[in-house]
Amino acid sequence: MQTASILIEIGRYYLMAGGVVAVLFLAIGIDRVEPSSRGSYVFRPLLVPGICLIWPLVLYRWIRLEKHGEDAR
Amino acid sequence: MSVQYMPVIWNRNKIVYDAVLLIAVALYLYVYIRVGPAFEDVTRPIDGAILRMRAFGSCAFLMLTVILCIGPLARLDRRFLPLLYNRRHFGVMTAVIAAVHANYVLGWYFNFSPTDQYVALLSSNTNYGQILGFPFEAFGIAALLILLVLAATSHDFWLSFLGAPIWKALHMFIYAAYACVVLHVALGALQGPGDPIFTALVAASVVLVSGLHFVTGRMEAKRDRGEQTAQASLQEQGWVIAGDLDEIDDTCAKVVTLSDDERVAIFKYDGKLSAITNACAHQNGPLGEGKVLWGCITCPWHGYQYNLADGRAPAPFTEKISTYRLKLVGSTILLDPNALPPGTHVNPIEFGGDS
Repeated sequence: MQTASILIEIGRYYLMAGGVVAVLFLAIGIDRVEPSSRGSYVFRPLLVPGICLIWPLVLYRWIRLEKHGEDAR
Repeated sequence: MSVQYMPVIWNRNKIVYDAVLLIAVALYLYVYIRVGPAFEDVTRPIDGAILRMRAFGSCAFLMLTVILCIGPLARLDRRFLPLLYNRRHFGVMTAVIAAVHANYVLGWYFNFSPTDQYVALLSSNTNYGQILGFPFEAFGIAALLILLVLAATSHDFWLSFLGAPIWKALHMFIYAAYACVVLHVALGALQGPGDPIFTALVAASVVLVSGLHFVTGRMEAKRDRGEQTAQASLQEQGWVIAGDLDEIDDTCAKVVTLSDDERVAIFKYDGKLSAITNACAHQNGPLGEGKVLWGCITCPWHGYQYNLADGRAPAPFTEKISTYRLKLVGSTILLDPNALPPGTHVNPIEFGGDS
C-alpha cells in the first residue's frame, strides 16, 4: 500500500512539473525553437498532454535547440 | 519550414478513413455489448460493466493488432498503402478506447474502495513472484501509458521538435505496448474460464503480427542482399559508389572527385538524377555549386546554362559538356567514371520522389 501511494505521489508531482514546463514552453520556448509554430496558437493546447508526459525530453530538446539551432534537428 | 501548424489536418481521404474507422469501432462495440450476451453461458452471467470493459479492452487489442499489421502489409503489397497514410488517427483512437477500458476497470473494481482508486489498483495484488495470479494490471498500465505518450506526441510538431531519430525511437515503443497488452491479456483474461474464441483471437493476433514482421524482414533482407550483389557486380565493371540519395538536397548537386582534374556533379531534381562534368565549358566554373531550374543548371560564375540530360546549352547556344551514366541500387548512387562525349544524351535516373 505504501509503495503504491509513493508511486502515485511521484506520478502526481511528475505531471505537476510537466504542467509548469508546458506553460513555460508554450509561452516562451515554442516560438524560439519552432519557427512553424509562430503565429499559430490553436494547436498549442494539443501539445499540453504530450509535454506533461515527456517533459524531461522536452526540456532536453529545448536546451539543445536553443544552443545549436537547426543543427540539432 | 514555413507552413504553420494546425490542430488536425484533414482532407477528403482522411475524413473517409476516420469515418470508416469510427463506424467499425462503434459496430464492434455494439455487437459485443448488445448481441454478445445472447451467446453467454447462462450459468455464468456477466455484469453490464464487465461486458463493456471487455468490449473496449478487446477492441483496443484488435486495433493495436491491425495498426502493427499495416506497416508490413504496406511493404508486402502497395495496395495497403492507403491504410498507412492516416495511421496516426488510428493510433490516437486506440489510445482513447484503451483509456475507456481502464476507466471502466477503475469504476467497477475500485470505485467503492476506501483508499484512492489508483493506490488500490496498484496495491490490490502485489504477487509479482508468481505466474498464476500475477498482477496483470501492471502490464495494462504500462501499455496504456505508452499508448497515451504515443498518441500525445503524434502531431507533426513533435516530429519536427524532437527530430526524426528521437521521434521514431519513441514511437517504436508501440511494440513494447503490444507485448505488454499480450501479457496483460494472457495473464489476465485468458486465465479465467475458458473462452475459445477470445483465446484463438489472441493467438491469431500474435501469429499474424510476428508472422508479417518476419516475412517482411526476410523480404527486405533478401532485397538488401540483391542490392549488394548488384552493387558489387557494377563495381567489378569499374563503376564507383558516388554516395547515397539522401546526401543530395533537391535541385542541388554532390560533387564526386574521380581524379585531380576530373570532378563529376550529380544533380537531384524533379525526382530525377543526372551527372555532368563539374567544369563549365566557358571558364571551368564549378557547375556543382549551381542550382537547377527547369532541368537546366546555371553556372554560378558567368550564368552559362546546360541541360542536365544531355549537357548541351539551350539553343541558340552551342556549348556542350560531358555527361556520365548513373545507376541507383536501393538508395546508393553508382557512377560510371568513363565520361561520355560532350552533349551525349543520358536518360536521367528516376527515383520516384521530388524530395
